[in-house]
Amino acid sequence: MNAPPEWEELVSTALVGTDRRPLAGTAAPEAELLERAAVQTVRMRAGRRPLAAEPVAAAPPEDRPVVSRPAADRLARILGGEQPRLLPEWLRVAAGHGRRVPPHLLPELLDQAARDRSIRPHLGVLAGNRGRWLAGLNPAWGFLLNEPTAPVPTVPAGAGVVPGGSGGAPDVWELGAPGDRRAFLAALRAADPAAARSLLARGWAKETPDDRAAFLEILADRLSPDDEPFLEAALDDRRREVRQLAADLLTRLPGSRLAARMAERVTGWFAVEDGRIRVTPPTACDAATERDGIRARPPHGTGERSWWLQQAVARTPLGVWPRLLGRPPGELVRMRITDWGREVMAGWVRAAVLQGDPEWARELFAHDPLADLLAVLPAAERERVAAGFVRRHGLDGQLIMVLGGAAAPWGPELASAVLEKIIEVSGTQPWNLGELTRLAGERVDPALYGEAERLSPEPPVQEVAALLRFRYDMVKELS
Amino acid sequence: MGLASVRDVTERWNRDQVLALAPDASSQKAAQGVSSPGKWSGAGVTADALWGECRGSGSKPYLACVDLSEPAYRCSCPSRKFPCKHALGLLLLWSAGGVPDAAEPADWAAEWLDRRRDRAARTAVRASAPAGGDDAGDGEAVTGGEAGAGRAGGAAVAAGPGPADARRAAQRERRVAAGLAELERWLADRVRQGLATSRRHDQWDDLAKRLVDAQAPAVAGAVSRLGAVLTGDDWPARLLGEYALLHLLAVAHRRLTPAADPAGTAVGPADATVGSVDPSVGPAGTAVGPADAGGGLDAALLRTVRERVGFPVAKEEVLAGEPVRDRWDVLGRRDTEHDRITARRVWLRGRSTGRAALVLSFAPVGQALDASLVTGTTLDADLAFYPGSCPLRALVAARHDHAPGVSAGPPPGSTVDGALDEVARALAADPWTDSWPVVLDAVVPAGSGLRALTGPDGALALHPACGTPWRLIAASGGHPLTVAAEWTPEGLRPLTAWDEEGRVIVL
Repeated sequence: MNAPPEWEELVSTALVGTDRRPLAGTAAPEAELLERAAVQTVRMRAGRRPLAAEPVAAAPPEDRPVVSRPAADRLARILGGEQPRLLPEWLRVAAGHGRRVPPHLLPELLDQAARDRSIRPHLGVLAGNRGRWLAGLNPAWGFLLNEPTAPVPTVPAGAGVVPGGSGGAPDVWELGAPGDRRAFLAALRAADPAAARSLLARGWAKETPDDRAAFLEILADRLSPDDEPFLEAALDDRRREVRQLAADLLTRLPGSRLAARMAERVTGWFAVEDGRIRVTPPTACDAATERDGIRARPPHGTGERSWWLQQAVARTPLGVWPRLLGRPPGELVRMRITDWGREVMAGWVRAAVLQGDPEWARELFAHDPLADLLAVLPAAERERVAAGFVRRHGLDGQLIMVLGGAAAPWGPELASAVLEKIIEVSGTQPWNLGELTRLAGERVDPALYGEAERLSPEPPVQEVAALLRFRYDMVKELS
Repeated sequence: MGLASVRDVTERWNRDQVLALAPDASSQKAAQGVSSPGKWSGAGVTADALWGECRGSGSKPYLACVDLSEPAYRCSCPSRKFPCKHALGLLLLWSAGGVPDAAEPADWAAEWLDRRRDRAARTAVRASAPAGGDDAGDGEAVTGGEAGAGRAGGAAVAAGPGPADARRAAQRERRVAAGLAELERWLADRVRQGLATSRRHDQWDDLAKRLVDAQAPAVAGAVSRLGAVLTGDDWPARLLGEYALLHLLAVAHRRLTPAADPAGTAVGPADATVGSVDPSVGPAGTAVGPADAGGGLDAALLRTVRERVGFPVAKEEVLAGEPVRDRWDVLGRRDTEHDRITARRVWLRGRSTGRAALVLSFAPVGQALDASLVTGTTLDADLAFYPGSCPLRALVAARHDHAPGVSAGPPPGSTVDGALDEVARALAADPWTDSWPVVLDAVVPAGSGLRALTGPDGALALHPACGTPWRLIAASGGHPLTVAAEWTPEGLRPLTAWDEEGRVIVL
């Protein structure tokens, strides 16, 4: 705003004071100055003219329907702090239906996603064109531009990519945003794993390190021995994250060259003596070992040999052990191991998770119930094993951790085991139930809310029922 | 668009509107904890009442009921928060569509509603008679609290006539005159010594305390808020502006108050020490210029000056004035905290009169504030304005709608030019105006940093404290919206927007 010169004059006089800069021709210069200033102030306030300001460019129209009003209101409640842990579920369900969030809720949602990466993947769909328009205006929300914009990317028929063929890849692959390219590759991988790999291989050298890492993760789906040469080459990538991912994937291919090298490495370190497993861990980590994904520098507080041993066991195909030590997994996990038992067990657990081996996971879980192992089991078995564990085990931190590994939705068997546990504990130590009731409310299949409501009038059970009801209504509103 | 048909529909309030009724953030949170369907039984809603039984920790459920026409709340729980979390939780449940329609209220709810309405009817019969304080707990629209409720609270209670009261009133006049005379001298000293010496808070605190002692609480409040102008680079200009308006107020009070002869009432010794500054004479006439509308500066301006100084106005006197009936849009509200008192400003505008109104209420921090005016609703009511040269502050004297607060769509707005004209008129009548509600039609976020709103005829900058109004920008998407905002000399503070679907968005 432009102040008149007279006002500027008054301000500079007032700043130094009329003692030093008298106002000419008046007996009471202070009052005179204040009165002139009052006139000027009111004049400026009242005489203000509209400014010239460039309106922001309009956002493009939307091509997806917005969620229903009740669904939007529920999202506002969740963002406002009511059941905040249900946000990921709301987002997943809404994105699955290809809806978008009403614009006025976007700033809150994007702010939350700026702090919490885990909720970003669905936002590409949910934020709609308005969201991307906002991301263009606010750099803090720039991450949105990397998220895929379609719920299920369509792979055009014959998108084809015949290996070695001249057929051009579709535009989205050539020109799309990182998120859209990832989504496209994932869809292609699901439809035609070999085509996805060869499409990726063609432009591999030109991809950014971040993209290379993200694309490798996509290859985890439908992994097959055909992928081995490509992954073996990726062990020489410049980015460590990429090398590590390639090594992880190769570990899952028992016939890979990496698997053979690891098997050979560990052969010399293990032997069975007097019914015990005797371990002689490595004393050096050479360049070839590092190339196979073993990190040479241990974290603070861990000895080098212990560190190398753990990693080597984790990266050795689990199929090696019964051959090498002559016993099935069930026996191996129960055998005494001299000195290095902790490292070997930790390595096996990591291997079972990394290689997704249900047999090992089952045996290891029986020995040491860990949530990660539970997650490896097929859904029906997982539920049965978890329910059995809940019935046998008291309410403690381990119970909560293990249940954390049982993905939603929990069916009737696990649900009733957990609710019975809640009833049992609410009589003795109700103050300890907080986390268990929350977990149950979040994981149990929401359609079971009626059963939970009728099961018992105990407040914690009713709390679970209320949360299930909340989710049931939430899912219904979104469909 | 048929407004009548819109009004006939019982439109549920949205979640923002409900949460806006909460006395504080912790109540909002607590309400959300009891807003799930599983907590409630026997809930129902009719055109103007909402009730339900909330299972609490005890054996007996709490009975909560909301009269949607006011709204007014009732709950059997012992909470001192008002409305309590049960009433709010029930409203949230209703807002989410979780309360079934019913033909008749439950017996216990009907009983309470009948009692309430009987009482309201009796109050209406008493017409302009004082609204009884006994109703305050039920959230009556007429709320207590005066501008000076903070420190001069005791004196703010309207005094009936009587010799002792007359003596006290005369004493107050003398004290105020003396206090303002001291303010004039103090301001003159600042200007003589230079504002550069003025960048200290403690001197304002001192002065404010003396003004409180002089029973001029409103002007004391203005002084104690001076620190806020120091934040910007242009602080000398803004400080001079504030000093000048304080000076203008003191001079106006001196010149307009009939029997107040400053020479007689002002404290003698101080005058002597100040020496050359004689507050009784001077070219003050020019300063009151903007308000110098008609010949003898009228009584209305004096009322405004006295209100700005901090003389209390009796509620009875306000209610005795000519009420203005209209359909009032609740544009939004702003709560500010000062001296452990929360002041709630609710801005209204009349649909047919086009008048702006401000309903002020006060409560100690953490306690219930008047929650009867729901942002985004339109109420048919009589408003009684506080007298003055530019009446803005008002009381809801009576409500005529017994339908729940309806959302009648965006309020009629004006152009940017139109809004500035209106502000200019307000300033001409009351030069101390520092806040005025405007509704802008078809504006778009604009300017660098998007800290302005522009219409076809130009833009207005936003208040620097607002930051970038992302919610408004997101709702607009670069398309014109109706936006209600509070005009202030520093810029607009957006209050509420209506998106293309007519949804009320509290900003």
